[in-house]
Amino acid sequence: MSSAAERARALLAGALETEPAALGADASIATLEAWDSLAHLRLIEALERALGKPLPPEAIVEIGSLADVTKILESA
Amino acid sequence: MNAPWKPGQPLTLDTPRYRLRSMLPADVNDDYFAWLRDKEIMAGVNSAPKAMTMEDIRKYVGKFNNRSSFHLGIFRKPDDRLIGFYSVYVDRPHALASTNVVVGEKQCWGKGVVLETRAAIIDFLFDRLRVAKIWGSPMARNIPSVFNYKAQGFACEAVLKRHRVGPDGGRADQFMFALFPEQWRAVKARQAARDSKPA
Repeated sequence: MSSAAERARALLAGALETEPAALGADASIATLEAWDSLAHLRLIEALERALGKPLPPEAIVEIGSLADVTKILESA
Repeated sequence: MNAPWKPGQPLTLDTPRYRLRSMLPADVNDDYFAWLRDKEIMAGVNSAPKAMTMEDIRKYVGKFNNRSSFHLGIFRKPDDRLIGFYSVYVDRPHALASTNVVVGEKQCWGKGVVLETRAAIIDFLFDRLRVAKIWGSPMARNIPSVFNYKAQGFACEAVLKRHRVGPDGGRADQFMFALFPEQWRAVKARQAARDSKPA
């Protein structure tokens, strides 16, 4: 069973169409040029598929970094 | 360098890839007319397709005064093709402004049009009009729009639950985002630092 951090990294890498190893721990909207509006849409959709339910608006608006994605998976 | 502007006169703002300029009624073309009738495009602004005539639209565009309201076409360089538009409203007594955008040309979706063009509008609003705060209210499920607000440093001030009727007829949540000058300066400094790093 992979950790929430590993799953978050894989989900974000998939949305950004890159390799998980390419993402630093500080990966965020502010640090990654590849994190654009369509990548963000892919990330939200992937997260919701992984969780099996729609994200509440409070979660949607918080997501802006790898750490945020990890936090959501940890709290699921 | 943007052209000088005086209140009440048409506004022009240039970015590397686009020119924003106050639309004239004569600028409303068949593309613009079609965007307002396109369900997918209008869903982005949580609006039902509009059955306006060309004359209705031209009258609407003619009502913006370039003082407290602006209707800015997004014209792509170098072919000068209209690909979308902004409506910008300024509340002068409270020094507030809001922007609404429609990128009608679907081939331009996901190409950073809003980030590039709204940056020029934000600069104009803070630097030229001296507004104290800019706000926007995207629907919570309009993920690309939410991304654009976050990427430009807007902070979510409120989640308005079941605030609007959504495209499917059900109730939809909406965010209230806001940007202050100091947040915008911080975003620009971060971008400059990122851009100056060797690839």
